[in-house]
Amino acid sequence: MTHKMKSVLIIGIQGALAKITCELLIKRHPETKIHGVDSRVIDQTLHPDKISTQQIRYTRTNFEKIFREHQFDTVLHLGRLGHSPMTGNINKRIDINLVGTNTILELAQKFHCKKVVILSTHHVYGAHSDNPMFLKEDAPLRGSFKYPELRDVVEMDQMCTNWMWRNQQQVETIVLRPCNIIGPQIKNSITQYLRTPLAPLPVDYNPMFQFIHEFDMANIVVESAEKLKTGIYNVAGDDVVSLSEAVDIIEVKKLKLPILVVEQLAKIMTPMWKFPHYLISYLKFPATLDNSEIKKLLGDDIFRFSAKEAIELLKYR
Amino acid sequence: MFSKLDAIEENLKIRYGNNSDPWGLDPKRALIDLKAILPLYQYYFNVRLHNKERILDKPYMVVSNHTGQIPIDGMLICTAFATEVDHPRILRPLVERFLTSLPFLGRWSSEGGAVLGDRLNCLNLLKRGESVLIFPEGVSGIAKDPKNFYKLQRFTRGFLRMAIAAKADILPIAVVGAEEFYPFVFHLRKIAKWLKIPALPLSPHLFPLPSPVDIYVGEPYSMPQELSIDCLDEDLEAHLIEIETRIQKLTEVGLQKRRTIFKRS
Repeated sequence: MTHKMKSVLIIGIQGALAKITCELLIKRHPETKIHGVDSRVIDQTLHPDKISTQQIRYTRTNFEKIFREHQFDTVLHLGRLGHSPMTGNINKRIDINLVGTNTILELAQKFHCKKVVILSTHHVYGAHSDNPMFLKEDAPLRGSFKYPELRDVVEMDQMCTNWMWRNQQQVETIVLRPCNIIGPQIKNSITQYLRTPLAPLPVDYNPMFQFIHEFDMANIVVESAEKLKTGIYNVAGDDVVSLSEAVDIIEVKKLKLPILVVEQLAKIMTPMWKFPHYLISYLKFPATLDNSEIKKLLGDDIFRFSAKEAIELLKYR
Repeated sequence: MFSKLDAIEENLKIRYGNNSDPWGLDPKRALIDLKAILPLYQYYFNVRLHNKERILDKPYMVVSNHTGQIPIDGMLICTAFATEVDHPRILRPLVERFLTSLPFLGRWSSEGGAVLGDRLNCLNLLKRGESVLIFPEGVSGIAKDPKNFYKLQRFTRGFLRMAIAAKADILPIAVVGAEEFYPFVFHLRKIAKWLKIPALPLSPHLFPLPSPVDIYVGEPYSMPQELSIDCLDEDLEAHLIEIETRIQKLTEVGLQKRRTIFKRS
């Protein structure tokens, strides 16, 4: 049964994905009230007549006030702070990703919210030499094994999934673990890497990658809120491309180096080169996702763009 | 010779296209490797494939004995499947985790068709219609002392469960001639353990000797359909012994007809 959204809270509205999701929601459900919050300054690119926005600190008091005033039935948590060198230190990330998310979940239950969609990431699985292709949702979360900097990402996912099963009778919660989201508006680490005029490419490794276009991802967030039941879902298309193929498609210049040199370069160049050194393992080993669960529920045609098309579209930014 | 290679190339292009597959197989790179290995296969190791008519155009779980200190036997079996059978295909050897983690070598092996030895990979490959190559003896099979040459080590059972899950036929293979690549070998087992590598064979020569190799293909073996993937180990035992016996018998036949470095025909 489709869940009807009357009042939606979007957390992290300043993010590109949240904005696209918001546009889709306005188009598909013009009657739905949308309230967007972010800890960052919110620009005025969104329709002020159709969405109310608010810059807030992610504190319990602030969130409680918003939940009380708006009586949301749906929460789209797209506000996970990414782990790029531009997003500050680990303490800030823990504060927003863990403490903030915990508060949001508690309030969603307290104020009788019916559906919560949480955007996690495939980074929770970690890139390891012994990763099989197409990791299922029940694969162990080893994202922080090698790089403790990623522990907030894994802990946030674990916290959400634990909470999800504990409260499944009251709130339908969906945890999405997407592959690499790319697109002209997204500014995450992998998009920035692919857009680098001179992309350092390991000469000794060539891992396989999955990419999802930002529009497809936003569409899946909306569809998840409407149709998916409580659970964890990997989000990735069917096609997989190698890193060198991806760089070839986007036609950026390649700087072929052994991974040891790329690793050192990433350490030295941070934050000028916006690819954190703790994501280097993704340039060595794969972390590809099995998409059978989400396809079973949302259909085979849920992805409009293939991975290659998504990369192609990055060229026309 | 060239027309045969062209035909193989054409067949492989039709089957695999030009794009990488999810496990990293790069058909163009695999063809380049194949062309480089073929002279070694034909002239240096003088490989002969016996009973190749048993190999049909369908996905198999190819199960072989493992010999020769370094996995040249796997490379030769893969070359045989790509060049000598009526419907050439790139066999997907399931390899040690150690190999996939290595720089250059891991990339080269993946682009040539090798896949990390994992149950999920095995199952997904078979479901996609690929044939996989498995050495159920593992490292203990390949890294043997001279006194144990051609003695089949105990097989692990995991591959049988995968064959049940994928409903794939098991194709037993025996390779004879590979143990003579390194006839005088000593294993530094403690140092290998300390270095966290699967084996460390020490031999007076680095390059394998030109021992002629015979690859024997056995009758395909199907697992009973009523067996479940979660059946007890005891239920698999008879099938395991049957496959081991078939490979051991093929090996014994091969050893009776064995060629040597000095008597290659």
